[in-house]
Amino acid sequence: MPSFFNTWLPFIYLYGVGGIFFFTGMILIRKLKGIDMRKKKHRFWWKVMFFGYFYFMLIHAILIIAALYW
Amino acid sequence: MDRLHTMGTQTDWVVMIVYLVAILLFGSYFSKYNHNTTDFFFGGRRFSWWLIAMSIVATGVSSHSFVKYSAKAWEYGFSSSMTYMNDWFFIPFFMFGWLPIVIYSKIRSIPEYFEKRFSPSARFFVTILQLLYLVGYIGIGFLTMGKAILPLMPPSINLFGIEINITLMGLIIVIAFVTGAYTTFGGQIAVLFTDLVQGFMLLLAGLMVFIIGIDYVGGWHTFWNLLPTDWKLPLAHFNKPSDFNFVGIFWQDGIAGSIGFLFMNMGLIMRFMSAKSVNEGRKAAVFNILFMLPVSAIVVSGGGWIGKAMSMLSNSPIPANTQPDFIFVVVANIIMGPGIFGFVIASLAAALMSTVNTLLNACSAVYVNDVYGPIKVWLKKRNKNDKVDEKRALLVARIATVAFTVLGVLAVIPFSSYPTVYEAHGYFHSTLTPPLVIAIFLGVFWKKFTPAGVIATVIGGISLMILGAYYPGVLISPFDHGTPMDPVHPYTYIGALYNTLVCLIVGVIVTLLQKQFISIANRIKKGSSHNLIIVTMIILSSMIFSMVIFNIGGVQFLFIASLFMTLMISLISTYYIKYDPVIKTEGLTAGSIHRAKELFKGSKLNEREGDIVKVNWKLREDDEDFINLSKHDMNKMYAEEGDLVYVTDARKYLGGLKSFHSRFGKPHNEEGIIYISREHVKNGLLIKGRPLTAEKEM
Repeated sequence: MPSFFNTWLPFIYLYGVGGIFFFTGMILIRKLKGIDMRKKKHRFWWKVMFFGYFYFMLIHAILIIAALYW
Repeated sequence: MDRLHTMGTQTDWVVMIVYLVAILLFGSYFSKYNHNTTDFFFGGRRFSWWLIAMSIVATGVSSHSFVKYSAKAWEYGFSSSMTYMNDWFFIPFFMFGWLPIVIYSKIRSIPEYFEKRFSPSARFFVTILQLLYLVGYIGIGFLTMGKAILPLMPPSINLFGIEINITLMGLIIVIAFVTGAYTTFGGQIAVLFTDLVQGFMLLLAGLMVFIIGIDYVGGWHTFWNLLPTDWKLPLAHFNKPSDFNFVGIFWQDGIAGSIGFLFMNMGLIMRFMSAKSVNEGRKAAVFNILFMLPVSAIVVSGGGWIGKAMSMLSNSPIPANTQPDFIFVVVANIIMGPGIFGFVIASLAAALMSTVNTLLNACSAVYVNDVYGPIKVWLKKRNKNDKVDEKRALLVARIATVAFTVLGVLAVIPFSSYPTVYEAHGYFHSTLTPPLVIAIFLGVFWKKFTPAGVIATVIGGISLMILGAYYPGVLISPFDHGTPMDPVHPYTYIGALYNTLVCLIVGVIVTLLQKQFISIANRIKKGSSHNLIIVTMIILSSMIFSMVIFNIGGVQFLFIASLFMTLMISLISTYYIKYDPVIKTEGLTAGSIHRAKELFKGSKLNEREGDIVKVNWKLREDDEDFINLSKHDMNKMYAEEGDLVYVTDARKYLGGLKSFHSRFGKPHNEEGIIYISREHVKNGLLIKGRPLTAEKEM
């Protein structure tokens, strides 16, 4: 069985440290009004950006589980 | 190495040559759409998202390419895919920060942004870094192409009785000649359209290798069970070994690489500049990262994974002496029949060519806009606001393409010392991207960032980075997360963390000390010996920088001297550069995108979302830049006179090739009719009788 250093630690680091950058970006574009939530298109992109973060997180989690248990 | 020559059959060679000639002709056909440097470099800002996305695939996939990812897939398994799955973190910064600024500020290159946002001197330093980055990237592209094609060649050929040995460098020179010639005459439109075809071919070729390979080893179940668990994991070991570890690659690729690719890769930025609107650019970026990159991860790594599974078979067909960089070609040769192998290699070579084409095109764009143009102004041969002589600029762009092709070949030499292309590319990214990445990032997202901050980030940052390269055990090791240091190529990946941090710290501290610098600079100006003080500081700074480059003195002395030099450079910059933060940030930071749009339009915005109308066109016998639609159609579009409009051939599959941007003129009463000028017909390449669609932009 591969060690924690080979499985979940990279995953936690990727979405933890990467998440800090991602959510800082999300907060920053709202604060700086780069994204205007009154616009329909912008609201759509806001949801897409959140979706993308969890989409990649899910793919990586499934692949780790598949490697370990399937 | 001998066994890795003369792969493939005559049929493969025929297929390869036919494919490459067809691609060259296809690209040349589109060169007729280059009317000026805007078309040549940016494709005329007219294309649909799917064309841009496909074109990005061809560039992204081939630059990160089959050769280097298959090599790591062969050595370490599925974790070779991680670099394709870590690009999402900076998407908010890109989509709602950098992308709209790039489009609305009408810049033609990244250095030009630095002149608008900061000063001409900031542009000068950034131009040097940008050209180094692009030439290095071209070098990596040539090296990869050479390594992909070398196994197919015989050890030597006989030409008119002379025996010529085929070497990697010789092959690269031939490849560079073909690639340079193609880009020189084709320009960005040719690149975009050949990329569309190549994007498809590339995906097809990579998937073919993966699917046929799985069948070869006995089906999915066998393939999965042949691989050890460690090799099925999608992320590498946290910090071991030195040539492939998660944390190093996270900082080198996921952070420095991702920001570098999205924010400072002029080749990619030019793709987005050729999009018809910011929203189309966003669609292309999202589609590419969400869907195309995961598919591309399989496409580029598949050869290595199959190779590893094959090596686990009892009678492994993989030669024992196979080097990682050759594994893709070796696997393709084993599993593919004659002709199909030729197709796979041809699409690989063509795709690599497309990456290099894009970068060459980007290099000449930077040269024309940031070196040739400013020099002309400086020599007073042209006024800053004079119109550029398009014919001459196009000629200069073509000559520059040839020159950068030669420099790209020379750049191969240092990279060829690395064991794999992957490591060469990793080192290149972690070294060259941080100063520019930090400069762009702080420039866009921090209004307070000053010209002194940019120049200090570049010069002071580079100085501390050079010290890090000389003394990795002292300066980089505190950040190494436990990754081992390879004495030959120390901290290839995690070095990016140190490099990014020192550039960031320098930029932030200098900006925070700006008030103090202004006050000292003003006191120096008032003094009688101000020239002497400034000249002394310039000489001292140059001396310290030279000492750092040649490593004269110990690490402690040089580190403190670098900090001292950074302060002096900040002071010199503050002394010389006149900077008005209100004017210089207007429409050029993420906090002023609305203003950027107003400046782009030239009047107040009309952002009501209306319909797209389908119309037939009639010619107006003039060359004025406005169109006339009926009152009814304009009402449907919520459009007013003076608003911006995008008009395109109604056939969607053309992706905006036949289109133009203009403004709404006075309305008429003929419903379903648009009046356009002769210039619109010429620039939009419109065909008589073909209906158009008109869309209000803002």
